[in-house]
Amino acid sequence: METPQQQIQVDLGNLMAFDPHHSFPSIPSSREELVKECITKGTELVQAIANSLFNLPSTEDIDGPIVQLPRPETKLPRQKHLPVPKPPTKWETFAKTKGIKNRKRDKIAYDEPTETWKRRFGYDRANDENSVPIIEAKENDVPGEDPFAKRREDKKKRVEKQDKNRLQNLKQAAKIGALPSHVQLAATRLPITGTQSAAKKFSKDELGNVAGIAATATASGGKFDKKLPGEKPPKHKGKFRKFLPVVEGKGKQSQEKEQTDKVLNKLISKNSHEIFNVDKAVNMYNVRKDKKRKNKPGMSSSTLKPKKNIQKKPLKKGSSSKEKGK
Amino acid sequence: MRPLDETETTTVFEKLFKFTGNNLKNIVENPSHEGPDPGPGRYCFRLHKNKVYYVSESLVKRATNIARTQLVSLGTCIGRFTHGGKFHLTVQCLSLLASNAKHKVWLKPTSEMSFLYGNHVLKGGLGRITENIVPGDGVVVFSMSDVPLGFGIAAKSTQDCRKLDPNGIVVLHQTDIGEYLRMEDEL
Repeated sequence: METPQQQIQVDLGNLMAFDPHHSFPSIPSSREELVKECITKGTELVQAIANSLFNLPSTEDIDGPIVQLPRPETKLPRQKHLPVPKPPTKWETFAKTKGIKNRKRDKIAYDEPTETWKRRFGYDRANDENSVPIIEAKENDVPGEDPFAKRREDKKKRVEKQDKNRLQNLKQAAKIGALPSHVQLAATRLPITGTQSAAKKFSKDELGNVAGIAATATASGGKFDKKLPGEKPPKHKGKFRKFLPVVEGKGKQSQEKEQTDKVLNKLISKNSHEIFNVDKAVNMYNVRKDKKRKNKPGMSSSTLKPKKNIQKKPLKKGSSSKEKGK
Repeated sequence: MRPLDETETTTVFEKLFKFTGNNLKNIVENPSHEGPDPGPGRYCFRLHKNKVYYVSESLVKRATNIARTQLVSLGTCIGRFTHGGKFHLTVQCLSLLASNAKHKVWLKPTSEMSFLYGNHVLKGGLGRITENIVPGDGVVVFSMSDVPLGFGIAAKSTQDCRKLDPNGIVVLHQTDIGEYLRMEDEL
């Protein structure tokens, strides 16, 4: 056991052992014999790994001893081929022909308005033109043009142009196949291959909502359907509370006015019976008749009849309760 | 800040209707001359943090510039919704009610102070009263010089008032202008 172990080289980092000096004493005749030989040699090698593993300094744990493996020594060949170098961008080729060289600029620049040193790019950057609150008028200014809006527009244009250039460069790189796999994935979603707009991708929430709607679109409203494993209940049952807009435009017929009018009319019609006050009407009728009688005392039979009627009426209606209250 | 939905509008209008009767139409259709618009605008009701405000439309437009958390108040607060969903009128709506009131009660100068301290209106303090009040109606209380002092709910009808003894309650106190002092930080 001793002599073969000296010959065996162990690379603990990769948990690997091999015997460089091994040779078969005689070529095994049959396949079974070869397998047998290989297995015995294999166990020998594994034993060698196990031996050297247990020689390492270890710490005790509940699960057993734990050892720290050394760094792997054997250089293994890489699985994938080397990446293709990216083709130079349009600017890089242009810079090369003109002999323009990249020069590093400081991360920090002097900010004149505040007289401090600030980062060159990003938030709170030095010489940020957006933070200039007043723009002086120049002689060549076009009247009626908002310099602030122009500044914003210019910036937007610059960003768009840069994005277009970036896409163009990506396209070139994709042609050669120089893009790493993840960029390629992203690039196929970009309008490189000729499709004008990127395909719409449903978000997880949207899919969930659609699935919820589809699940409840049965005769029972999804009540008696069997749930699939892992299917969640629809997130929003019923509808959200909807309110009228806080402010309405001038053109439209105001929805809010419609609503208040509707409520108001309902309320008024519900209470319309109160408009006619029976007590008051009877009172007025009595008073008027009394006056008439006083004015014409010489009436006999014709005045008596209405008088009877008058007394009947209040007895029938509200005045009877009044009498009781007295 | 948002417009009232239909049920809320109904509760608010029902409460106002108790006090104003058909004059409620005047409140709702009152033209507003606020803001730079040449034509008259409208007044509308807005709910903000449980309180209902009576605001001109032009003011609402301007108030949209202010974040909901920052907005304290706008227009005239006319009441608030309780947690149970009922609507309570507050003192601030007094001027609105007083100008459109259906049922009114005038107080004798001697009993004004008693009412302003939050007591009910007794028969003894009654100066004048409008006709045809039914128990349960909303009543606006005035001083004899026609200054609105507050409002409440009628406890007795006008007819019953005539034969009531002087200590009987005529109007149940709801709100009075003394609250501007007593409940200053709640309003």
